[in-house]
Amino acid sequence: MSQTIAIDPVTRLEGHGKITIHLDHQGEVEDARFHVTQVRGFERFAQGRPFYEMPSLMARVCGICPVSHLIASAKACEAVMSVRIPHTAAQLRRMLNLAQMVQSHALSFFYLASPDLLLGMESDPKTRHIFGVVAEKPELGRAGVALRRFGQHIIELLGNKRVHPGWVIPGGVTEPLTVAKRDEILKMIPAAHAGMKLALSAYKQIADQFAEEIEVFANFPSYYMSLVNEDESIEFTDGALRLIDAAGDTVDEGLTATHFTEKIGEAVEPYSFTKFTYYKPLGYPEGSYRVGSLARLNIAKTMGTPKADKELVEFKKLAKGPVQSSFHYHHARLVEMVYCIEKIEQILSDPLILDKHVRAAAGVNRFEGAGQAEAPRGTLMHHYKVDENGLITWANLVIATGQNNRAMNQGVLQVAKHYIKGGKFTEGILNRVEAVVRTFDPCLSCSTHALGQMPLSIELRSAENALLAEVHR
Amino acid sequence: MTNHEKRRKLLLACGNALRSDDGVGAEIAAEIAQDTACADMKIVVVQQFTPELAEMIANSDLVAFVDAAANIPAGEISMRSAHPETEEPGSFTHHLSPAALLALSETLYGKLPARAITLTVGALSFELGESLTKPVRAAVPVVVGKLRRFFSD
Repeated sequence: MSQTIAIDPVTRLEGHGKITIHLDHQGEVEDARFHVTQVRGFERFAQGRPFYEMPSLMARVCGICPVSHLIASAKACEAVMSVRIPHTAAQLRRMLNLAQMVQSHALSFFYLASPDLLLGMESDPKTRHIFGVVAEKPELGRAGVALRRFGQHIIELLGNKRVHPGWVIPGGVTEPLTVAKRDEILKMIPAAHAGMKLALSAYKQIADQFAEEIEVFANFPSYYMSLVNEDESIEFTDGALRLIDAAGDTVDEGLTATHFTEKIGEAVEPYSFTKFTYYKPLGYPEGSYRVGSLARLNIAKTMGTPKADKELVEFKKLAKGPVQSSFHYHHARLVEMVYCIEKIEQILSDPLILDKHVRAAAGVNRFEGAGQAEAPRGTLMHHYKVDENGLITWANLVIATGQNNRAMNQGVLQVAKHYIKGGKFTEGILNRVEAVVRTFDPCLSCSTHALGQMPLSIELRSAENALLAEVHR
Repeated sequence: MTNHEKRRKLLLACGNALRSDDGVGAEIAAEIAQDTACADMKIVVVQQFTPELAEMIANSDLVAFVDAAANIPAGEISMRSAHPETEEPGSFTHHLSPAALLALSETLYGKLPARAITLTVGALSFELGESLTKPVRAAVPVVVGKLRRFFSD
């Protein structure tokens, strides 16, 4: 008799999801799928709204990465306005995005992933959570909480709100940086560096214990895409997109949001509300690619800051060519956090950072505009069409989690096939099936533009589709 | 300055002001913020109680958690002492109860406030909307009075 395992809901993610694992008549894994089970419909209800409302509306897609939505949306609006924003506004936005990267990566690493990493995949699920980590490693718990607060506090200082700040607007930002705020941010930098030193050291000490997971956690050749600067340094806010293949060779570059229609496709599968994004010239599913920290570090040749550059050199030694195992997303996030803290410090030393000219003004000069930014989970694209009055007639959001969707599904299948034998599985094995999804740090609220928290479940089903086991968190 | 005046006071209000009565915490916080007698108080309005608040709690002497409640009649006020209690965070680990936050403060920073309370107001509606329903609105001045007394005791 064939069987199906269901993990429903999958835990320690952002949003709602479910995993089903189908067994054949011998009890071996035949197929596995990661389902995103909610839908919200932001693209639809944006229609009819004035374009200049879009950043603040779109930020509501997500409570974790509203800054990325603000920035991508504002850039799409600026394409409609045909304006280039002032240098200081661009730098301030960049700093806001870096702060968000720190708080989101801290959430992913310390709150969501570290229970598996520090306590073990097989550890007691009753204590495999942030409290378990805090009890076991209080110094790391303190560092994690402090790093998240570091990012959130910068967002709060700049945007006057920790979540959904309305400071980023089409044309720039609403108000300049003050001396007091600049100095307050600078004062927090040394402690943030100390926290990262501790986190990286702890991660490097335990990473070797996960050799088996590294081998099978979505470890396969794929394409990668991210923003990168002209000097090949990492970029989260500006720059242009580059797509590389599994050997590290460039497939396409200089991609901007204006190329979406011809280069980026979105396929639909019946089992998920999240679309499956792919590179159109290669077709679907062959053109599927990965985004996020792993992709960014695989594509960038340099971070552009001293501490992070040392870490990048070490990271790139994990493989010849692009690092393929999604387990290394965790390491990549830590390297990016080091970079973000250094870059924030660099930006604050910009002689123009306190300049008062932070906004460009214009009306509708084009009827279509698109913008992109790197969200913590990967590339985020907003694309709008407007009428002569500036009212939105069409909107499309291409979200990081959709771009990683195919790889997440392949990863779930790879882990399930490796660990589930003869229809037998343990809680620890099912935790690994969830953990491979967690490496991508998907945001299902963003991916479906869906509402709510994210419990996730696992189902085990027979060849006759009978439900054999179900795990709800 | 007396010891009494030196007490570090923290009001943590939780809720979503776009969800009708869920915004009662923010409304109460706004009332307190206008009160000159409460000028020495730190007031924080959040949509969730998150772990990052633990340090702020650990560094306070008096802490009040204010929120809307779905499990008591509309407009009813519940005031209870809050004590640290470790809980299983379950599927979503970045929002916590006041008890869990106190436990986190104690574990991470080895400190707890001298006194902590939860003050909740029974909600009638969590639908989309920026105003409070009548019974919840009526409870606001009562809660504000209770908070004034708590912080001045």
